[in-house]
Amino acid sequence: MDLSKYAALFLAESREHLNACNGSLLEWERAPTSLEPVDRLFRAIHTIKGMAATMGYAGVAQLAHAAENLLDAIRHNRVSADPAIFQLLFRVVDTLGGAVEAADGTEQAADADLIVELDAAALASQGTRTRAEANPESDDSQALPTSPPIPESKLRRATDAPRSRPVQVVISRGAAMRGARAALVLRRAEAFGAVSGVQPPLAQLERDEFDGRFFFRLQSERPEQEIEATLMAVGEVQSVQFKEPALGGDAGGPRRQIRVDLRRLDALMKQVGELVVAKNRLAALTAEADDAALIELSGRISRLVSSMQAEVLASRMTPVGEVFERFPRLARDLSRELGKQIRFDMEGEEIELDRSILDEIGDPLLHLIRNAADHGIEPPDQRVAAGKSSEGRILLSAARERNTVALRVTDDGRGIDRARILAKAHREGVAADEVDTLTDDLLVRVLARPGFSTAGTISGVSGRGVGVDVAMTRVRALGGTLEVRTELGRGSTFLIRVPLTLAIVRALLAEAGGERYAVPLAYVAETVEFDRRAVTSVRGRETLVVRDQVIPTVHLQDLVSTRKASRSARQPTVILEVGDRRTALVVDALLGQQDIVVEPFDAPRGLPPFIGGATILADGKPALILDAAALL
Amino acid sequence: MNQTVLVCDDAIFMRTMISDILSQAGFEVVGEAESGLQAVEKYRSLKPDLVTMDIVMPDMGGIEAVREICKNHPEAKILMCSTMGQQALVVEAIQAGAKDFVVKPFQPSRVLEAVQRVLA
Repeated sequence: MDLSKYAALFLAESREHLNACNGSLLEWERAPTSLEPVDRLFRAIHTIKGMAATMGYAGVAQLAHAAENLLDAIRHNRVSADPAIFQLLFRVVDTLGGAVEAADGTEQAADADLIVELDAAALASQGTRTRAEANPESDDSQALPTSPPIPESKLRRATDAPRSRPVQVVISRGAAMRGARAALVLRRAEAFGAVSGVQPPLAQLERDEFDGRFFFRLQSERPEQEIEATLMAVGEVQSVQFKEPALGGDAGGPRRQIRVDLRRLDALMKQVGELVVAKNRLAALTAEADDAALIELSGRISRLVSSMQAEVLASRMTPVGEVFERFPRLARDLSRELGKQIRFDMEGEEIELDRSILDEIGDPLLHLIRNAADHGIEPPDQRVAAGKSSEGRILLSAARERNTVALRVTDDGRGIDRARILAKAHREGVAADEVDTLTDDLLVRVLARPGFSTAGTISGVSGRGVGVDVAMTRVRALGGTLEVRTELGRGSTFLIRVPLTLAIVRALLAEAGGERYAVPLAYVAETVEFDRRAVTSVRGRETLVVRDQVIPTVHLQDLVSTRKASRSARQPTVILEVGDRRTALVVDALLGQQDIVVEPFDAPRGLPPFIGGATILADGKPALILDAAALL
Repeated sequence: MNQTVLVCDDAIFMRTMISDILSQAGFEVVGEAESGLQAVEKYRSLKPDLVTMDIVMPDMGGIEAVREICKNHPEAKILMCSTMGQQALVVEAIQAGAKDFVVKPFQPSRVLEAVQRVLA
């Protein structure tokens, strides 16, 4: 059989499992007595072993097999997990990661040393067990001849906490609010004992994002019939079963999924993009034609294309959790390396982003998290001296905000010393001498200067100056923005804001100097009328007063045209907003909204920074896309 | 003796409808409340066998009222009356101690089924 065509699938799936392994290991390390992460780890390693063996990757399979043995020993209480074991298992996951990437069917030698260590660890446990079992047994025959052997099941019950049994519940198909019904079942189950490991998680149940099937573990010794009867009595429950969820999928009844090569989705996206342009053009032509049947057909095509566009976009949306996954491990390694105590938390893993953006966002986040760990969080003694807890905290969060996704890296560390940065900015000529306060805005521009670093020494983690500048460049390339908030002694927040999706964006069309420009709607706060009488001057800069708010103005025509604009008394004005910064973009005319397809754009040298791309409009003519962040 | 019910809803229309469904099934509607605050007070004085509780009401919503009632009477049998789209609130109410829920628009048979389950 030709296995080569499965190689990509093997790699993709193994990577997923290994990522999950890191997560399980971290979880387990936090709660060493919890068995659930061990089970998950065991299943993942087992799956990798099976796949590798099928592919003929003997090295990977052997290592996985050795790890599986050790995990099995731990699972059956033959050995308890200690720090050395965790360290060993982390190394296994890393080594497997490398081996999986390198595996290509040529005979790969297994990492013999690691396998020896694993075998030793597993054997050590077996050794203790044999000793522990052998001695009482030899004693048994003499000292306790009358006592019958205790059945294993009873032994477990007597020594362990009440055993946690798997429960699978299916809510009836016709039930209203199945999620709330599930909550009712869980509530009723709690009367029997502790409920854990709810799958899908309650938040997902609440949104009804499941097919009526869910799973949990219940710590209770009560007979199954009794539990079943009680849970069935909740009403609209189709079945209650005491079994493990099917392996490999979501416990909550997997939606059926297939893997699709990303390039196919990209191609589909591009074609839908062209379809959108054609649709817009058709609508424009039809409007002139004055033919009822044609107008109706055009409207219908328009709706179909819109829903198709929405579907294609949705199929590309991926939870940010996929990228977040690797960061807990990173944070853990960083805290060890730097000798700091860092608690790393994540929020909003379920927020979705277009796959192409997601792929680009990992590196910027990595740099920001490194910075937070290295420069932000203080060593434990300094923290205690400053009256903080010795453990620093880094929070990585994602949130949907209007048409953008906001990703924040927040630390409760020392914050950024503005005076020090300002002094450096003066020395390097980034800030004019008369600038005496460093606004957040200026701060981020200074930090993002290539090679800018205030770290006294290069720590190997960060401090080489790559960090904010790399993050900034990547984020800007995605049409996003990077902001910073910082308070000395209290910590910093770096905020990356990216559009939900590339490729197709809704834009406001504006005209200036006889040309048309597209402004992505995600950054448009409102449109107002520029009125000469509402203009004031703040520090020599023209500003517009809109509802008591003073907003600096930019005249688009001045930017794009060589001839001086003749200014009429009233002009349409677009208020651009990025984060909490605003600017009033004065244009000649507003031409309405349109879905535009962002065309790949090789920016020629000397192109002004506020041009973010190009597009073809409904009438088939090109227009430039403005980069809102660059106009602020 | 008929089992007693306290009906809580800020809309007269809904109170009337629920009362009708329940009276026809042989329950005795002993009181009505049009706010969460009233619901808590009337529960205390009437000690009904069953409470139907709207979620959105003025002067203390239904969830808060459930929490308040269950604080002193964890055995209280409260049936939430919700609308499509209130799932998260229903879950909250369940965690606060509500025993079951029905979803508007009401079908009498569904309401009675839920009532039977709560009183079982």
